[in-house]
Amino acid sequence: MIRLAGVSQAYGDQPVVEDVSMSVEPGEVLAIIGPSGVGKTTLLRILALFVRPTAGRVDVDGDSAWDVDEDRRLALRRKSGMVFQEASLFDATVARNVEYGLRVRRSWDDRLRDAVRSVVSSNGTPEAVERALAAVGLGHKLDQRATSLSGGEAQRVSFARALAYDPTYLLLDEPTSDLDPRNTGAIEEAVLEARDRGIGVVVATHDMHQAERIADRVGVLLSDGLTEVGSAEQIFEDPTDERTRKFVSGELVY
Amino acid sequence: MSVPLEPVVMLPALLEFPFREGYVRSIIYVSLYVSGTAVILSTLFSIPVAIVMGFADFPGKQVVKAIINTGMGFPSVVVGLIVLFVVSNQGPLGALELIFTKEAMIMSQFVLATPPITAISLAAVSGVGDNVRDAARALGGTRLDVALVVIKEARYGIATAVLAGFGRAISEVGSVLIVGGNITSASGISKTRTLTTAIQLEARQGQYNTALVLGVVLVALVLAVNAVVVRFGDEGAMNR
Repeated sequence: MIRLAGVSQAYGDQPVVEDVSMSVEPGEVLAIIGPSGVGKTTLLRILALFVRPTAGRVDVDGDSAWDVDEDRRLALRRKSGMVFQEASLFDATVARNVEYGLRVRRSWDDRLRDAVRSVVSSNGTPEAVERALAAVGLGHKLDQRATSLSGGEAQRVSFARALAYDPTYLLLDEPTSDLDPRNTGAIEEAVLEARDRGIGVVVATHDMHQAERIADRVGVLLSDGLTEVGSAEQIFEDPTDERTRKFVSGELVY
Repeated sequence: MSVPLEPVVMLPALLEFPFREGYVRSIIYVSLYVSGTAVILSTLFSIPVAIVMGFADFPGKQVVKAIINTGMGFPSVVVGLIVLFVVSNQGPLGALELIFTKEAMIMSQFVLATPPITAISLAAVSGVGDNVRDAARALGGTRLDVALVVIKEARYGIATAVLAGFGRAISEVGSVLIVGGNITSASGISKTRTLTTAIQLEARQGQYNTALVLGVVLVALVLAVNAVVVRFGDEGAMNR
């Protein structure tokens, strides 16, 4: 479980996220919904251990992430995969992109040996890479250059790249905001499959319909903080917080 | 004095190749050895500097940047003069007896090649988006992994930087003449004579044909190195 307790983040004097407490368990999809500019991305970066919050505590599977040494923190960070709004693929083949997370987890000895071997012959594609690409319906694009993919395909590869090393948690930052319905559907399907495999997914989105479609639980992040976290049904049908009610019914205009 | 550059005159010069045996080969060797070693050392120094300059904020960063940019236009004869003082008998490295050696030439070419290699690498590295670095980190990369991703993404720019540095080193006359001395052994084999200093000497002695042939060799060498580096970059791109 990743748990945030009283987490705040400020850049200079500007508070971005204030006093947020929440958690995500393996095997569930938690959607963080809210309008643009309320700190959804910052919250995900805190969950991914990219930034140390200015206040509060981040626990990953029982370890307080910012109170352990750097090696341990790297191990905790490696439990999560993150997908950004932009696909951000490397200028290489699709297979090399998807393999990246597996590669950095291998020892330097193995990596050097592979690099030397790749000069004389192909090292082949790891099964995990093929499986991850098949999960997003792009198993046939293994050898294509990442730069030649369409925007939707690139984002699906980016998802497969985070899935390939079998993370415990997946953090998705507006993963479908630039995509057409077909590619959005492919990613949503892959999210649900990942959940069924026991992965804990946090997806930040401003698309409430998407949250309704895929989330088990929903957190509502507004400019004054995380107003409510509850089951998707409860948040959309019967919110307890007045600000949440106004936001999900479209009355609260930012 | 007439300059015999007409094609009819040049042809026999090319065919007869009017040099002592091993002379041209030894000059090419010295040129490539000195410039190649200097550029390799410069690259090993410049890329980490470019990475640190590109991604870290530290006091004095602007000053370092200004020094690098000034270094790009630094006159080579002045560099040669400074290296000469450093390696001369009274200089701080006098005890190493480096004066008029290839090592002294490598030192001066290192000083000349480093600013362009660093500046162009820095521009290339800075051009790699934050999103690519974030992705490498998000996928579990350590700082070293992220730096390697940045180098790979910036490989074309870095290759250009290396070529620019090599171009500056191998085509340079002033400093290698001062610190190397343009010396050949008694048997006529180059000790510190490079293609450029040889061309300078031949032209001064009125041996224009010889100078021209050496010039062609120099240009061919630069083109060949360019082709190899560009090819290497393309293949690296497919295998990464």
